[in-house]
Parts: sequence; C-alpha cells; structure tokens
Amino acid sequence: MELSFTTKDLEFRDEVRDFLANEYPSHIKEKLEKGDMLSKQDLIDWHKSVSNKGWMGYNWPKEYGGTGWSPAQIYIFQNELGLAGCPPFIPFGVSMVGPVIYSFGNEEQKQRFLPDILNFNTWWCQGYSEPGSGSDLASLKTKAELVNENGKEYYIVNGAKTWTTLAQHADWIFCLVRTDSSGKKQEGISFLLIDMKTPGIEVKPIITIDGDHEVNSVFFSDVKVPVENLIGEEGKGWTYAKFLLAHERFGIASVGASKRQLMRLKEIVNDLDDESLTDKVSQLEIDVMALEFTELRLLSELEGGGNPGAESSILKIKGTEIQQRLTQLFVEAAGEFAVPYGGPEGFMSNVKPNGPEYTNEVLSKYLNMRKVTIYGGSNEIQKNIISKYVLGV
Amino acid sequence: MDLKYSDEQILLREQIQKFCISDYDFYDREKHVHSDLGYDQNKWKLFADQGWLAMPFSEEEGGFNFGAIELCIMFEEFGKHLVLEPYLSNIVLSGFILDQSSYSMKSNYISGLISGNSQISLAYVEESRTYDHLSILTSVENNKLNGTKNLVLNGSNADNFLVTVMIDDEFSLIVMKNDEDGLSINNFKTVDDKNISQLSFDNVTINPDQIIAKGDEAKKLLQDALYYAALCISAEAIGCMTACYEKTVEYTKGREQFGQPISNFQVLQHRMVDMFIDTELCKSLLFKAMLDMHENNNSKYRSISALKHHVGVLGKKIAEESVQLHGGMGVSEEMSIGHYLKKFIVIDSQFGNSKYHLTQFKNIDERSK
Repeated sequence: MELSFTTKDLEFRDEVRDFLANEYPSHIKEKLEKGDMLSKQDLIDWHKSVSNKGWMGYNWPKEYGGTGWSPAQIYIFQNELGLAGCPPFIPFGVSMVGPVIYSFGNEEQKQRFLPDILNFNTWWCQGYSEPGSGSDLASLKTKAELVNENGKEYYIVNGAKTWTTLAQHADWIFCLVRTDSSGKKQEGISFLLIDMKTPGIEVKPIITIDGDHEVNSVFFSDVKVPVENLIGEEGKGWTYAKFLLAHERFGIASVGASKRQLMRLKEIVNDLDDESLTDKVSQLEIDVMALEFTELRLLSELEGGGNPGAESSILKIKGTEIQQRLTQLFVEAAGEFAVPYGGPEGFMSNVKPNGPEYTNEVLSKYLNMRKVTIYGGSNEIQKNIISKYVLGV
Repeated sequence: MDLKYSDEQILLREQIQKFCISDYDFYDREKHVHSDLGYDQNKWKLFADQGWLAMPFSEEEGGFNFGAIELCIMFEEFGKHLVLEPYLSNIVLSGFILDQSSYSMKSNYISGLISGNSQISLAYVEESRTYDHLSILTSVENNKLNGTKNLVLNGSNADNFLVTVMIDDEFSLIVMKNDEDGLSINNFKTVDDKNISQLSFDNVTINPDQIIAKGDEAKKLLQDALYYAALCISAEAIGCMTACYEKTVEYTKGREQFGQPISNFQVLQHRMVDMFIDTELCKSLLFKAMLDMHENNNSKYRSISALKHHVGVLGKKIAEESVQLHGGMGVSEEMSIGHYLKKFIVIDSQFGNSKYHLTQFKNIDERSK
C-alpha cells in the first residue's frame, strides 16, 4: 500500500494545474469568484478551452479521439478541476451519449456524432424522465412508431419528457422511447437521437425554487425521426441506459469541488466564534475525507483491473449529501443575512443588502442543491440498489 | 496511490479469520468471559505459537517489525468475533512503549511478552476525565511512589506494570512488579467483559533502574502509544460494525412477520444500507489513518482523530440500529448483538472519545497534512 501518487501521476497533475493557470478562461473565473451566473456562451467557451487542449474526451479511449487516460489520470483531472472551482462539464455529450454511441452505435453514427461532442460543437440534453416516470424510469410512455414513407423509414415520436436540463440550449436530445408495449416494460424501450430543430418539438421552461431556469419540459408531437438515429437494436435501450449509469463513477462524488467549498466555509466560520458551527464543519470535513478515500479505494480497484460494483451508489449518496450539507452550513453561517434574496440572477439593484459579502448567494445555492439527491437515480433508488446487490435482500 | 492489501497481508487476514471462525464460537467465548482470567489461556498460547505476539516488535527484539497495516488487519478480525485475549494491553500499549524506548533492560520484558509467558499492563489514567494524561498526581519522592491509577486494562493478569509518574517534577515512565510492597490492586469488570484494575501506591520503593524514560521521551512514548491504541481499536470497531450489519441482514432475512421475512420491508432495508455505508466510510478513514501511521507522516495524529471520532459516533449508531432491528432478541444477553453495543461504548470511551478527537482534529494544524 502506498498513500502518494506515482511521480508520473504527479507530473500529470502539474500539467493539469498549468492548464488551469494559463488556459482556463479568465472571464469565467472572475464571474464565478463574484458568484455571477454563467451564460450559454461562457459555458461553451469553457468546454472549448478543454477541447482545444485535446482533453474533452478525458474519459474516452484513444480510438474514438479520447485521451486514453488511466483511471488515476481521470481521477486527478477531475479532482483538480473541482479544486480549482471550474464549472462542472455538461455531462450529456461527453459522459453520457458519447460513450453509448462509441459502444453501441454503428460506424456512420460514430463518424457523424463523436467529433462534434469532443469539440463541443453540439450541445446535448437527456430525454429520460417523464411526467409519470421518475424513479420508475422503465414505465416511460413516450412512444416511437416505425413508419415507412416513400421507401424511407422513420420513427414518429409522441409524448413528453421532463426535468430536461438546459434543453433551451440544446442542439440534440438522446431519448429513451417506447417502441413496443407488449412485453416486459424494460424490453420495449429504444435509444433514439433526435435533432432539437425537428418540427413538433416544444421546450417549455420549468422554474425551480431557487428562481432559476435550468430544467424544462420537452413535448413531442408527431416528431419525425429518421431510423438511422436509432442506437443499437430496437428494444435494447434499457441495456444502454444502464450501461450509461455505470459509466461515470468518479464524477458523482464531486470531492474536489466539495473540498474547495469546505475551505471557503472554514475561512468564514473561523471568524464567527461559534463552537457548535465549527464542530459541524469539522464533522463534515471528516466526512469529506472519508468520501475522498472511498473514491481512492475504488480507484485502486480499477487500477488493479477490478470491476467494483455498488461503490458508485455510495459515492452518489454520500457525495450529494455532503454537497447539500455544505450549502446548509453556509446558510447557517449567514444567520439572518441569508434572507434577502436576489435569486440566481443577483439582486435587482447594484446595491446589495447589508451583511457579509458571502451571504448573498448562500440561499440560491442551498435551494439549487436540493436537486442532487433527487436526480441521477434518487438516493432512495441508490439504497435499493445497494440493498439488492450488496446486502442481498 | 495503492490501497490494496499485499498477498502477504491477505494471507495474514485469512490466517486470523480461520482462527476466529473455527475457535471463536460465541457460546464458548461466554464460558471464558466469566472466568477469573477473562479469556482463554490456550488461545493466548496459540497467539504466541503463531507468532502473532511478536508481530509489531523490531527484529533486534525478536519481532517481525510489522507495522500499522498488519495490526489493523488483526484487530479488524478480532472485532468481528469480540476476541477477548489481552493483545491491546500487552502488545499494543506496553509493547509499543518498551519497543520504542531506549530503556536498557527492555529486552527482558519484551521477550516475556513475545513468548506469552509474562504480561504487562499500562497504568496511566488518574481522576480526570479529560483525557489529559500528562497532568498527573502520582509521584515519586525520596524513592517512594504514592498515588492511584485507574482503569488499568487487564491489570489482574499483569506480572508487571508500566506506570506514568512524576519524578523531580518530570513526567516519567517506570516499570514495577505486581507484588511490590505498598501496591494494592482492586479488580473490576468493564461493560464489555474485560478485566480492569485500580492500583494504589503507598510508599512503594522505586529504584533508578526501573525508570524507562523521562521528560519529553516519556511524554512522546505515552502519546504515541495511545494514538497507536486508538488506531487499533478503531480497526476493531470496523470489524464490529461489519459483524453488526451482516448479522442484522441475516437475522431480518430469517425473521418472519406478517407472513414474510422482515427484510422485505424497504424501511428496514434502507436502515441496513445506511449501516453498510457508514461502515465503508469508516473503513476508508482507516485506510488513511493506518497508512499515515505506516508511513509515519506528520498527518497521522489528525487522521487517527478523524477515524476515532467517526467510529465513536457511527459505531454506536450502527450497534443501536442492530439491536433495534433484532427486536426483543436484540436486548437478550444470549444473543451476540447486544455485546457489540457494549463493545462500542467501551471503544468510544477509550483513548479519547468522539468529542475529544473532534477537538483534536479541529486544533491540529491542518498544514501538518
């Protein structure tokens, strides 16, 4: 056993740090430090800076244009980005649909979609949840019917998707659709790529409790999708969806980003002379340390060629709980100055309310972070998974 | 970065597991709990024969020079089966102090520990409940020792004691026989069925050759031994936590109510998952702490405090949950599950409780990472 990374890995870490120091767009850094919202263009600029470095495919194999990095390198890369306070990657292209396409798509689909994902030329969104299908995702009803029009085959898609993150910016959506409702509910699901410009698609904003427009409803009425946009086999969509859930393991825990938040919280709390609060912060710091080493244990297993199972559910549960507790403690530290609320866009006038600087954004973050224990397979679903596959009950 | 056990370490674990599974039946254990000795003399002999008592000692003392990782492996397995044999008091506490000291006569004592033929207990607790064991009243004046020591682990079985005392206003460690004139010993049982003793010294004669260490050396020996012990019982705690959730899962699968196994109920499943997750998190902290200790990093004290805090809080929580999920059977003395709860009460209180270690964690300079 060995606590430190290898010299080679540490050199790699320095390379990532160099990139962050020199090529990470400064206008984004400034906005984030002030607590301002990022625009669509800001997010594109951020991803492009990573693409230009050749690192967008950080978790992809070389043959598809990825970096081919080892698990340790992927871990270090994500950790450094989090520690530096970078915005999280929009995961729908690079971490979700991309790996599904290179694993299950045909040659034509790989050529057509993968380069644009790596260069962040297309913005993808995810069409999974439906108004009636949340945690019970396999009950989804959005229907895709195969029709033949003048010798050409199309799917006609009807239905509604919801909680679609940043669909207002998206060029493409990958959807789970029902192509067969006769058998078991998991068996009639297919994986379909749909151009957001296709007639019949309507995006309606859903405003969340923090006042932000991050998620949407997406309605499909008689949307005509060429059959070439089907990934893999019809009826195998559920298999691909499950593959996708298992693909991203490290990102979920957000240890780097939480450590950065924790450092900021400690600075604030150290000046407050509030022992019960510093106790809570220290307990949280130990939880972060435990999560970090849970992730490193997983990394060790992967580096050794192992194929760990339920660990990603632990990382999801504890990682998101920690993210939420951080926001709770920021609110507690702000005391009654947490109450004046400007929402995610900031306050209406340039004059900010009285109180310490850090109090201005604590509530929008607190409210926004309620989502993390709900999305990506709610924490209750994760517990069902551990219960079934680890405890065997 | 490598958090995988080596083949030799896996072999050691299997060896200890084999012993615990074949020789540590809970009902057999009960017989020894209520004996005067408090453990099984034959098993202690087996520990010696297997070389387990020699594990952490340096090679020049006849040991194997094994470090924190091997000891933690051993204690984790001990925890699963509530092993009674006095490894902690003899080998971890007294053994560590003797081995690390520059005491000229230490080899005599260490060889007795390794062979299992003699036992040594550390007497360092006085009246205060603050875990500040450097401020003590027991003192030697004109070669006469006076004072009282409490909660001496395995004191009734010890042939010798290591005692913290003040000599000429200097914190010191001395060694003495259990039959010195003026030494009286009162024996008690702890809530987890171990033997502890109170030692009273009434003008016990102390010779200079009994002094193991003085001043900063003595303080560091005690402090490091207590951290080492905190690490070991944290590993033991993780073994206990593992046993708790595994036994609880097993029990709920077999227990039928309302026409089905109660493990079918989601409310119970999620509570058991929480027990599992908490165990895994503590295990991750154990990896950090034992490697810091193994590599002798400056951050070791902080990592051990983090670990000890979490096993203190979460261990008790898991044991309480286990008792609850066992229903009425959980509070019956004949089931093992309640004994784990009692074990956690002891683990949290010894070598700094969770409150103490949270304060340590907070106060130890973070730059020591």
